[in-house]
Amino acid sequence: MKQQVTISLYWKCQLIGWSVTALYWGYTGYSQPGFNWLLGILQFISDVAVYVLITHLYRCLALKLGWQNLGLNKLLPRLVPAVIVLGLVYLLATVSKVYLFRVWFKPGFSEPFGDFFDFYRDSIFVAGVRLMSIWLLAYHLYHYSKREINIAKENAQLAVITRDAQLNNLSAQLNPHFLFNSLNNIKALVIDDPKSARRAIDLLADLLRNSLYNGDKQMITVKEELELVKDYLELEKLRLEERLQYHIEANNQPENIMIPRLCVQTLVENAIKHGIGQHKQGGLINIQLNNEHNILTISVSNPGKLNPVEANNGLGIKNLNERLQLQYKGTAHSSISETNGTVTATIKIPVV
Amino acid sequence: MKKIRVLIIDDERAARSEIRRLLAGYPDFEIKGEAANADDALKMIGEQTPDILFLDIQMPEKSGFDLLESLEQVPPVIFTTAYDQYALKAFEVSALDYLVKPIREERFEKAIVQARQRLGKADPAGQIFVKDRQQYHFIQWGSVHLVESMDNYARIFFGDKNVFLKSSLNQLEEKLNGATFFRINRAQIINRQYIQTITTVDGRLKITISTGAQLEVSERQSAKFRQWAVGK
Repeated sequence: MKQQVTISLYWKCQLIGWSVTALYWGYTGYSQPGFNWLLGILQFISDVAVYVLITHLYRCLALKLGWQNLGLNKLLPRLVPAVIVLGLVYLLATVSKVYLFRVWFKPGFSEPFGDFFDFYRDSIFVAGVRLMSIWLLAYHLYHYSKREINIAKENAQLAVITRDAQLNNLSAQLNPHFLFNSLNNIKALVIDDPKSARRAIDLLADLLRNSLYNGDKQMITVKEELELVKDYLELEKLRLEERLQYHIEANNQPENIMIPRLCVQTLVENAIKHGIGQHKQGGLINIQLNNEHNILTISVSNPGKLNPVEANNGLGIKNLNERLQLQYKGTAHSSISETNGTVTATIKIPVV
Repeated sequence: MKKIRVLIIDDERAARSEIRRLLAGYPDFEIKGEAANADDALKMIGEQTPDILFLDIQMPEKSGFDLLESLEQVPPVIFTTAYDQYALKAFEVSALDYLVKPIREERFEKAIVQARQRLGKADPAGQIFVKDRQQYHFIQWGSVHLVESMDNYARIFFGDKNVFLKSSLNQLEEKLNGATFFRINRAQIINRQYIQTITTVDGRLKITISTGAQLEVSERQSAKFRQWAVGK
């Protein structure tokens, strides 16, 4: 098995950067008379080794002090002295190295180190500060931008997670009140009308199955939703008997459009609560779906008067509105109105 | 033995037949009628004067609470509801009992036992059902020490609380048991059980009741009060 050797981006940059720099110096030496190949190669290797070492030591220190996590305003005041110190180290290392090479390769070279140092001090220090500034800026800007990008990514992820959590919290579930009323009704039907009791258990089982197993599914097709609404209405009719009449109408093939789960059911439940539950004689629930101009209009009407205080106060309706807002980001609309003793709740959903 | 007369009030036929079936096991209870809404129930209560009501809370047009508020004399009530107990607590109602549907037989039996006990030592003065600041109260007339008129309302004092009832003092005076309650002046009715001392100051009758409050009997009512106070 062959072992894969991977070189990190840091080391690639270090080696390539300093090699290019050292090659440039080598080239300036090569263009001058008296170029010595051996010296040139030694210069190249020692340049790369020494400057990689200096900057790498700096990196270890910076990592230890946690400078890569600082904001720009805190980082800059630390970088200025760092550049000066690194410039001094660069000066010392470079002058010593060049002096040593002179001593080895130039026969008869006898200038004392102090004079040699004084002579080169300023120019090499300035060059060192410039190089170290470039290195530090490149290093820290890279980390800074990487951190910023990570933060932006995390924020985006967080927004998605928050939205999902909000949707889950708002997810419509079967109203427990409905569940217990149904069970009580079935209990009576078992003796009064066993055939209806059996049917009611089947309907309730399907509704429960849907609620318990599909609770995390935010979107379903209109077809699935209508099947659920029909089951719900049939079960409620067994309880409310002749007081509940209903009619469902779907135009322009909306069957395969995706809509938020239980959005029609929530409107129907509300219509039964206010329209049928509040009238001794009951009445007609009218459900209409219309797919036109890329907008699906769902309207549910029931007999009754609109109570402005209660109109948008029901928990189910409030949750539905919030779900629409989260899901469609303001492109879905809901409204409720009353004409001649009929209250109609309407939602409009863009078809994508 | 005199049977306990029951009225079942629920908008769902199946729910009424469930209560009927549960009650079948208790021969000392006799179902006098069933009502599917508050209006029918109000009529039946007037005709049948039941000893106890099995009452659903959510009903079309008028709720079970609305029904009780419209009664001058409220019989003991067992609420039946599909609400959970926590939702019910929000109403702050202390009923005889409340049963959550579907009702278990052993739970129903407990309610029956409680009902028998309560009916055995029923307060002859009866009770009313009053809504006051989003809270519902059952008030036993026996626990009321004072009724004061306030414009169109009667302010009813019981324990350390008081509630307003939309009723004139004249209406209440007619309704209340004359042996227990007496109208001492234009604005106040007192309960005999709470009188502590009666004194005469400058020819006027003054009453101290158990809360420490001092009340004055009007001149017009003084002679009548003296008769009433000595017992009949």
